[in-house]
Amino acid sequence: MGNLIWHEYARLVSITASVYAVWSAFFGLFYRKFFWDFVGGTLRDPGGIEPSPNAAVFITLIVKVPVIQMLSMALGMFMIAMEFPIPPLKKLAIHRSLVVRIVLLLFQTFLTILYYQGTNAAIWSLIAAVSYGRAEMLKEKMAVAKENKGRGGRA
Amino acid sequence: MGESWFRREFLTPRRLAFNVIFYGLHFFFFGYGWYSQATNQRLAGLNSLKFSVWASRGAGLVLAFDGGLILIPMFRNIIRFVRPKLTWLFPADENIWFHRQVAYSMAFWAMVHTTAHYVNFINVERTQIRKQTALQIHYTQPGGITGHFMLLIMVLMYTTAHHKVRAQCFEVFWYTHHLAFFFMIGLYTHATGCFVRDSVDPDYISSFPFYSTQHCLGYLSWRFIIWPGIIYFGERMWREYRARRTTRLSKVLVHPSGAMELRIIKPSFKYTAGQWLFVQIPEISRFQWHPFTITSAPEDPYVSVHIRQVGDWTQALGDRLGVGPSVVANMTSAALKGAEKEEKSGMTRGDFVELDPAIASITLPAVRIDGPYGAPAEDVFKVEVAVLIGAGIGVTPFASILKHIWYMQRKGRLGTLRRVEFFWVCRDAPSFGWFQSLLQEVEAAQADPNFLRINIYLTQKISEDMLWNIAVNDAGAEYDPLTLLRTRTMFGRPDWMTIFGQMKQAIETGQYLPGSKSQLKTKVGTYFCGPGALAKSIKEATLANSGSTIDFTFAKEHF
Repeated sequence: MGNLIWHEYARLVSITASVYAVWSAFFGLFYRKFFWDFVGGTLRDPGGIEPSPNAAVFITLIVKVPVIQMLSMALGMFMIAMEFPIPPLKKLAIHRSLVVRIVLLLFQTFLTILYYQGTNAAIWSLIAAVSYGRAEMLKEKMAVAKENKGRGGRA
Repeated sequence: MGESWFRREFLTPRRLAFNVIFYGLHFFFFGYGWYSQATNQRLAGLNSLKFSVWASRGAGLVLAFDGGLILIPMFRNIIRFVRPKLTWLFPADENIWFHRQVAYSMAFWAMVHTTAHYVNFINVERTQIRKQTALQIHYTQPGGITGHFMLLIMVLMYTTAHHKVRAQCFEVFWYTHHLAFFFMIGLYTHATGCFVRDSVDPDYISSFPFYSTQHCLGYLSWRFIIWPGIIYFGERMWREYRARRTTRLSKVLVHPSGAMELRIIKPSFKYTAGQWLFVQIPEISRFQWHPFTITSAPEDPYVSVHIRQVGDWTQALGDRLGVGPSVVANMTSAALKGAEKEEKSGMTRGDFVELDPAIASITLPAVRIDGPYGAPAEDVFKVEVAVLIGAGIGVTPFASILKHIWYMQRKGRLGTLRRVEFFWVCRDAPSFGWFQSLLQEVEAAQADPNFLRINIYLTQKISEDMLWNIAVNDAGAEYDPLTLLRTRTMFGRPDWMTIFGQMKQAIETGQYLPGSKSQLKTKVGTYFCGPGALAKSIKEATLANSGSTIDFTFAKEHF
């Protein structure tokens, strides 16, 4: 008692955030909206906010073709696959890297903050990344999955 | 996991009834919320948003229902009071389980509600049925702000409530779960933004609840669901008040096996055998309350708890009393070797070191207790045969119960209770020395050799030396060499099917309870405290052996 194992806690937050990211990206495919379009945008009636021309690149990537949504959905799915982890990843030592997770979660934060539905996923991913960061600071090591034990270099 | 999910959820009558009622109510509320929104002419403007608004209103009503339910299983004092009267209706001891079911359902409906609102608000912005942007609704209006905050709080509360986190660091769970206060505030004020209205702008008024119900047409569910919140808050205040009443730590006994026995005197504290309480020692931690089973009988002039130094809090307590982990570790290892060394050290396992401020130069810390809280073992006097099964540390509640039975036996007030079978399954009996000394006392006091039968099962692998030791010492000795009881220790795991089967046979043939007619129904109550897997196999054995003449019941304690 008394010692929170940060990377195990972060895993739970990370799973939650990634599931949210996938779900939000899924809805983002149907209701496409650039989150930051209010910056310099004008409100039209009807039609909603018309984004400022400066944001054209985001409009292309989010509204015209939902590239950002698809990327974050893929990333979210990969995060879930890595956190559980799925059997093919379990064999690789990289799935136990906390740094990889921090980087991916920060990517996830960056991607999900861009579109309308992803705000909470971004905040939660950031929380997960910070928790993993804390684990890394405390030099926590992720345990080898049971099936891999004793397989040394091959695991 | 032998049984399938389907079998567990649908083929067990009680669980089926729960599932039908619980989820039935959820779907009913969803349907009603949906329907009443969709058919409300005054909300025609909102209804132009179609499915998303219907879904969000339906899910919103379900969430209100869940928000009202979530605190109910946490009314610890009220549950303790109503439990004995309502055990036939619902297992009141499963309150945490129910709390979790509500929480799971809440997470699901929160997903539905939030998703629907994300669609709603983007459509409001696009169609401009209200002259607002989606983000204004999300981040500047009460509904949106409280909603997002509640989601964040839920993430923190749910993740820290995971059983792994609770086991690693209970404090994280405990403190984070108090975010529930802000969650409930958010829940009750979620609708104050008057999002569901038939007017162009929210119709705010200057008096409570600060919006006019003339135009704000929400379900006003807070009027109903705020009551559990108020009751719960009141209960917490009452617990705080009760904890502050005069409490004195009178004595600390340190048993050679390493357990510390705190004897606390609190005149206002009334309890029955088998209950548990929370202990707080402000000197060690100002906010932490730790649950312990009461090990004294209600007849004792004090309340005692036995504490083993396993966590950081209990170790800190040991240090504070001058019997820190290192001291105790020596004692424990000595006790583990106990059987042979005993005569030389001159200290039997029943002996203890008493820390009394009147004698030793130590001071005892202030202590506060909160409780007692219920456990099914209170009902032992209502059955004819009580089967008490303790596994490992789960044996503690039975200390109190056995003592209590002993007191009642002396007074001749045993109720319907005719026989007691006590089973103790543990890995290493010597580390529970204090319990053995208690058993010795109870066993020695037995006038009727058939009233209490003690069965001890040692599941630990024993070394060859120990085996020989037992073989040599056990034969012909009056007392068992391991436990110093008259009862022999058995090795390996008990076979519950056989045990209950034999008991059934003995009862049916009238050998077990002399004088009882076989046509009368004999009630055998089984009380178990210990790990879940064991509980399951015992429960199966009780169910398999219940018949027309014998009614085996099963109750499990939770920690």
